Amino acid sequence: MTNFYTLTRTELVEAAKEFKFIWLTLFFVILGITQPLITKYMDVILENVGGADGITIDPNRPVPSSAEVLLSTISGQFNQIGLIILIISFMGLIAADRNSGMQDFVLTRPVSLRSYLLSKLMGNWVISMFSISIGAAVSYGYTIFLFGSFSFSNFLLFVLLYSLWILFIVSLAILISTFVKSPILIAVTTIAVSIFFILVKGFNHLLFQLSPGGILNLAENQLLSVHDLNYFSIATCLAFILLNLSWANRNLKKS
Amino acid sequence: MITVEKLHKTIKKRKILSDVTFSIAEGECVGLLGPNGAGKTTLIKCMTGILQHEQGTITFNSNPIVQHKKNIGYLSQLTDFKPWMTCEESLLFFGKLSGLDKGFLKGNISAVLEEVGLKDKENYKVDQLSGGMKQRLGIAQAILHQPLLLILDEPVSALDPIGRNEVKKLISRLKKRTTIIISTHILDDASEFCDRYIIIKNGKIVGNINGEFQKSDRKQILVKTGNVPQTSEALKSSEVECVEWLSPNTFLLTGAEELDLKKVVNDFAAKEMDITSIEFYERGIKEIFLEMVSDT
Repeated sequence: MTNFYTLTRTELVEAAKEFKFIWLTLFFVILGITQPLITKYMDVILENVGGADGITIDPNRPVPSSAEVLLSTISGQFNQIGLIILIISFMGLIAADRNSGMQDFVLTRPVSLRSYLLSKLMGNWVISMFSISIGAAVSYGYTIFLFGSFSFSNFLLFVLLYSLWILFIVSLAILISTFVKSPILIAVTTIAVSIFFILVKGFNHLLFQLSPGGILNLAENQLLSVHDLNYFSIATCLAFILLNLSWANRNLKKS
Repeated sequence: MITVEKLHKTIKKRKILSDVTFSIAEGECVGLLGPNGAGKTTLIKCMTGILQHEQGTITFNSNPIVQHKKNIGYLSQLTDFKPWMTCEESLLFFGKLSGLDKGFLKGNISAVLEEVGLKDKENYKVDQLSGGMKQRLGIAQAILHQPLLLILDEPVSALDPIGRNEVKKLISRLKKRTTIIISTHILDDASEFCDRYIIIKNGKIVGNINGEFQKSDRKQILVKTGNVPQTSEALKSSEVECVEWLSPNTFLLTGAEELDLKKVVNDFAAKEMDITSIEFYERGIKEIFLEMVSDT
């Protein structure tokens, strides 16, 4: 436990020293602000920026609800561009340690592989969720200011469930890092596999139940105020996280 | 102290270590020699518990090695610690992971930095250190918890002559109080501290040689002359099959059978060659190593 704490703390201090907390948070704040602003002021932006020739904006178009705006911010911005940047930000989480010899120095101490991997998972998840939560909170604030109120408890439940998806993504990056040495290849593979899990959940109900991506639907349901807490999706996501970590543990022991 | 028995290790379906068996006694300094890719680093990683092996046993004082991580100090080939940490912070980090208490660490970090010659650099960040200093910091983290066994993987290979000299001096000092295993392919360096050599090739132990060992089979003679013959062929005789011209005045004579020094001296005198020195050629670890790992 002490080793887990020491290693996790080092991950967090390193992220702070590299200004990761700042730039990643700023990035998610910008993503969080952009969607509600563009949705609200699209016609004004087109008028002022130009390039609106031939585009007709229906003055009677329906005003989207705050839930819809939040959903497009999270699904469209956070879970696409945001996810890619997030994965790139932790593509070196194991590779850097391996390439610098740090991993060997740590693992020759009385440190279990489990503590080492859990510290990587926890450290990178905390960094990610710190940035995402602030970005999402700013987006929530802008959205209710521009489009009307939205249940704060539903928003919190959404962030909680979305954090499980992020935990899965970090565990996936850890697993892939034990197969591949190049950080770029780790990032590309993690992005490809996570997109696969997002897509596969839409194919049929069984795949939805068996995909860790099912947790995303559960999270989005909180924004749409569909109160269907599908525990199976939560269990599937947690099972995949455990599977990824066990597999990574096995790989590191073997090579 | 440490015993490796019938060790086998496969990585990605490739046999890296095969039936590796040896033991090292307390106080010894053993050189683990082998060409690149021989399996030295994999063997060391198995010995330090980083890698799991499929077959065989590694014991430390008769117990499985994983129970003795606290008694092992390890220096990896790569010593790029966290660049943002200072030397002191790096040692504090490793000390905490070794389970050392803060009180002990505070005093010991200063002593260890002094020992490796980095006392005045304790507040320097790792990325401000030279290659030699990083290597010495690597040794500092390896000896911080006062291990009984020190395993150094290529400690001087990547260093310039100044850095190499600094690290060699440090190893010589540590040798007096700790059992050391040094993996290297730089044989001249190994011969400066090692009591014994374990030679590994293609994952197998091909030699286990005492450091005092100097092999002389009396089939080769080293001759230094005052004058120079026109060709080396001129020095051949019925006994001397081959003559290697090592320098303008130095020749290595090789015979099919054992050579007789008297006869060689007489032969040279007959050919009007002045001999300034003559001796049986003794092969050092370099020659023995090359002989053992050579494919021909």
